[in-house]
Amino acid sequence: MFGRIISFSASNLKALLPASISRCTRQLHITAPVAVKQIIETRKDKQLIIEGVYMNSPREETLLRHNEDSDACAVCRLNVEIKHTDVLILSQFIRKDGCMLPRRITGLCRLQQRRIGNMVAMANKAGLMTSLLPRARERDPYKRRKEHLKFKVYYDESTIKPPKDPFAPRKLVPKDNWF
Amino acid sequence: MTALGRVKQWNTFARTWHLFDAKWQNPIESGPTVAKYLQGLHKPIFHPMSECGDHVVVINTKDIALPGDEWRLRVYFHHTGYPGGASWTKAWELHDKDPTMVMKKAVYIAMDGTLQRRYNMLRLHLFADERVPDEIMQNVTNQIKPLRYVPPSLYDYSEEEIEKFPKIVDYPHDYVIR
Repeated sequence: MFGRIISFSASNLKALLPASISRCTRQLHITAPVAVKQIIETRKDKQLIIEGVYMNSPREETLLRHNEDSDACAVCRLNVEIKHTDVLILSQFIRKDGCMLPRRITGLCRLQQRRIGNMVAMANKAGLMTSLLPRARERDPYKRRKEHLKFKVYYDESTIKPPKDPFAPRKLVPKDNWF
Repeated sequence: MTALGRVKQWNTFARTWHLFDAKWQNPIESGPTVAKYLQGLHKPIFHPMSECGDHVVVINTKDIALPGDEWRLRVYFHHTGYPGGASWTKAWELHDKDPTMVMKKAVYIAMDGTLQRRYNMLRLHLFADERVPDEIMQNVTNQIKPLRYVPPSLYDYSEEEIEKFPKIVDYPHDYVIR
């Protein structure tokens, strides 16, 4: 739908618009700061042009600079030991509802994706970071929890297991090992 | 003798009162630290036969933190003395019943089982929260440094601070932020 100019006649406009917008909820957003894409409506006589335009990322100004030549992923090239209590860093890798972003969006290597994902879960369990929604600010994360979950915990990052290497050579087992 | 030296001497021979904030502290780790002040091991005149221990006021014991699964795994044993009188209480159950008990037992275990231990424990004052009676609080002259860093929640920061914090990764070009 994007990159294409859609034209409607003005008389059909009222009937067409609400249904067409509600059908493609995923790509069309009306509020500007929420989406990287924005809809721009321009009205010429008897023609309405609806256009999807790529917006600048909200992180553009605060993004850390790095050497363009390096192949390392964003966390590897930082060379900083991240802990599960570093909520300002971990909150960059979650969606608004608190879920971890997938690897195709974060662009991290396998190891760092696993580590950050586990640390997001640790921060969640420790009650330090639940979601980015405004209602999370008012809620006490320990209030609804039961039994052992209602008390404070902290974690050791060295317990995070690295992911299995799919390209690692298989271990050879001798064939005559009958027992 | 200098003025500082004189004050040091007063502090050594008097019973000093120390404050320890147990918020986000591991009781098992901080038990030996508290026990050191209770026994008077931090004093140059320490001798097992000379009773020179200090008072320690521990606050916020309900906010102690244990690592990983330890609230479930740590178990406190008690036996009534009768057959079948053994009982095992999990740490979270004990903390639920009395929010000062886990800390108290941690300090008790950290001291050697001598005759002095019960008298040292009398000088330990435990409070579940920050409300301490004035008659105790007005004696306090020193604060013991907490062993663990108290982690701030994400909601302790304002939304501006979170926005301005340096970002490590950017969204892909065609990503719709949710």
